[in-house]
Amino acid sequence: MIAAVIVVPAVQLARASLGQYSITGLYQGAVGARNYVRLVQQEALPAVVANTVVWVVTVVGVTLLLSLGLAQFLAKEFPGRALVRWALIVPWAASLIMTSKLFVWIYDYYFGILNHALLSLGVLDRPVDWLGDDRTVMGAMIAVGVFVSLPFTTYVLLAGLQSIPADVYEAARVDGASPWRVYRSVTVPLLRPALLVATALNIIYVFNSFPIVWTLNDRNPGFGHDTMITYMYKIAFKSALRDVGLAAALGVVNVLVTLAAVLVYLRAVRWREQDA
Amino acid sequence: MRRLLERPVLAALVFALFAACGRGDSGGPAAIKVVIAEYSKDHTGPFWRGLAEQYTKQSKVKVDLQVVDWNSIDQQVSTMIQNNQPPDVLNLNSFSSYAKDGLLYAADEVLSPKTRDDFLEAFARGGTYRGTLYGVPILSSARAFFYNKALFARAGIEAPPKTWDEFVQDARKLQALGGGIIGYALPLGPEEAQAEWSIWMWNNGGDWKSGERWTINSDRNVQTLTFLADLANRHRVTQVNPGKTNRTDGAFQLFKDGKVGMVMGFSPLARQLDAEGKVQYGVATMPTNVGAPVTLGVEDYLMAFKKKGNREAVKGFLDLYYEPANITRWIAAEGFLPVTKSGLTQMSADGKLKPYLDALPNAKLVPTTDPAWDKVKLDVQQTLGLAVQPGGKPREVLDRLQKNATAAEGGR
Repeated sequence: MIAAVIVVPAVQLARASLGQYSITGLYQGAVGARNYVRLVQQEALPAVVANTVVWVVTVVGVTLLLSLGLAQFLAKEFPGRALVRWALIVPWAASLIMTSKLFVWIYDYYFGILNHALLSLGVLDRPVDWLGDDRTVMGAMIAVGVFVSLPFTTYVLLAGLQSIPADVYEAARVDGASPWRVYRSVTVPLLRPALLVATALNIIYVFNSFPIVWTLNDRNPGFGHDTMITYMYKIAFKSALRDVGLAAALGVVNVLVTLAAVLVYLRAVRWREQDA
Repeated sequence: MRRLLERPVLAALVFALFAACGRGDSGGPAAIKVVIAEYSKDHTGPFWRGLAEQYTKQSKVKVDLQVVDWNSIDQQVSTMIQNNQPPDVLNLNSFSSYAKDGLLYAADEVLSPKTRDDFLEAFARGGTYRGTLYGVPILSSARAFFYNKALFARAGIEAPPKTWDEFVQDARKLQALGGGIIGYALPLGPEEAQAEWSIWMWNNGGDWKSGERWTINSDRNVQTLTFLADLANRHRVTQVNPGKTNRTDGAFQLFKDGKVGMVMGFSPLARQLDAEGKVQYGVATMPTNVGAPVTLGVEDYLMAFKKKGNREAVKGFLDLYYEPANITRWIAAEGFLPVTKSGLTQMSADGKLKPYLDALPNAKLVPTTDPAWDKVKLDVQQTLGLAVQPGGKPREVLDRLQKNATAAEGGR
């Protein structure tokens, strides 16, 4: 099963990255590492890599911070908690493409409710082309990325919070610890496994996220706001390169980058653990 | 940990959907695979399903029909060819790269002479690669100049502009109405920049190629692109960020909403406007800067892939589609224009289509007969918009396109 689902496609991907393909997709022979050399020479690559780092780090970072707060809130008893918990699942359950399209309309310069709201509140004095202005596109995409990542992350952290036994808090309180002290010395350390899982999985999800960047950025010519995932797709089908082999080379790089990022992250965390 | 490591490899799976994959049985004469682009949800699927049933009834050959949306059709077809499972019949907006790769039957091998002789000459020429017809015309469309009659009246404009000077004056008057009214909606975003650009380029006497040579960065074309950039940044008579506006959900949407005075439209837009009944619009010829107005004709293709033993089956299917009753019923339903002489005669009875049918003989096509075009088109889509953004450099953008086009010509 694992062989069929993972190994075979991985091998095929690696093989495609070593081949040359016509624009129609016709295989024209092996070219060794040439696609990798050409990949490094692509003019757009540095900007795309920088975009990817900003995208992943910001979305994962902001998501974790907000989710910590949300999870804490949802862990408390309050009337209507069940309802709020359900409501939080909605952006997760909805299809990413539908959510992205919805946000395209929310951000729209002429018809969008965001400009409408901000103008009537007096926050803006003129409308902003959120998805067309080079200064705001990435921020607009990141906001959507955070929005769809919150439910999963919050639930992982909520599960983590609820697995912390009540008597630990009891003991801390008896010792006279302040709430902030309790949070730092009891909650955060005991939440660490949940945080680890949430961070590692989010790095992978967010890095591989295609629909948000693709849908929100589809009006912008060039590669100025692409991540390595959407750039791969453009190389294969939407740019003058139209080259499946070159795209496969980037695909291999993408898989390795994800692996490396997670390994580095896990190692860094473990190293700190031993240090403490 | 193990589970964690499996996830990234799943990324490979996603990619593998369009990268190489396993090999299966290819079609065989018991069934043919027909891949059709989805022109509209309401008409494309139903028509082709009906045609497939009719075909199966006559020939006992099954049809594996796949109606694919335009956004993913390039990817899906590429995947089929990588996997050595090409379709038997494919509908697309390009053909010459497939002909160049030797994947296609020449039209004469898969069309009866009666069908072959019925094509309008211009469209047959547009499907020819190195003297042989491979890209069989499936339908056509022609662009026309749309204007909002109510806004024209409010701005005191009596007739649609004939020249570029009149066009700029009218656009200024419309924009001056205020209240968010836009003079001209200019879509130079990645969706179809090459179409909008072609119209302006030709109406200033420029062209993509001269003979066998690309002429993308000719002085005339630089002048044209500078003119478009000026519309946006100097005269300020376009919508915000025209280089980052697509046609369907951008320019057309604004026109349908009554916010825009002028836009380059085509017959399907007219159908939508008629259905919504919100905007009173007029249809005219393109404003021109030199000589007679030129419009853009667009031709899409059917092509037949060479596979062992499938020739007769494919021929039967194509001939069935080109029976006048079938092809014309579908083209009319989708709101497009005919590619056959018989279709032209039949459809000219429809008064609504008159402006487009009149424009058809003078319509120019983009150079789809050149395999390099398939890359040039994508290059234009990804770069042209940048030239009309504030600080954009029309000449540099065109120089680059020219360089890439010449390189694409040389080989792959």
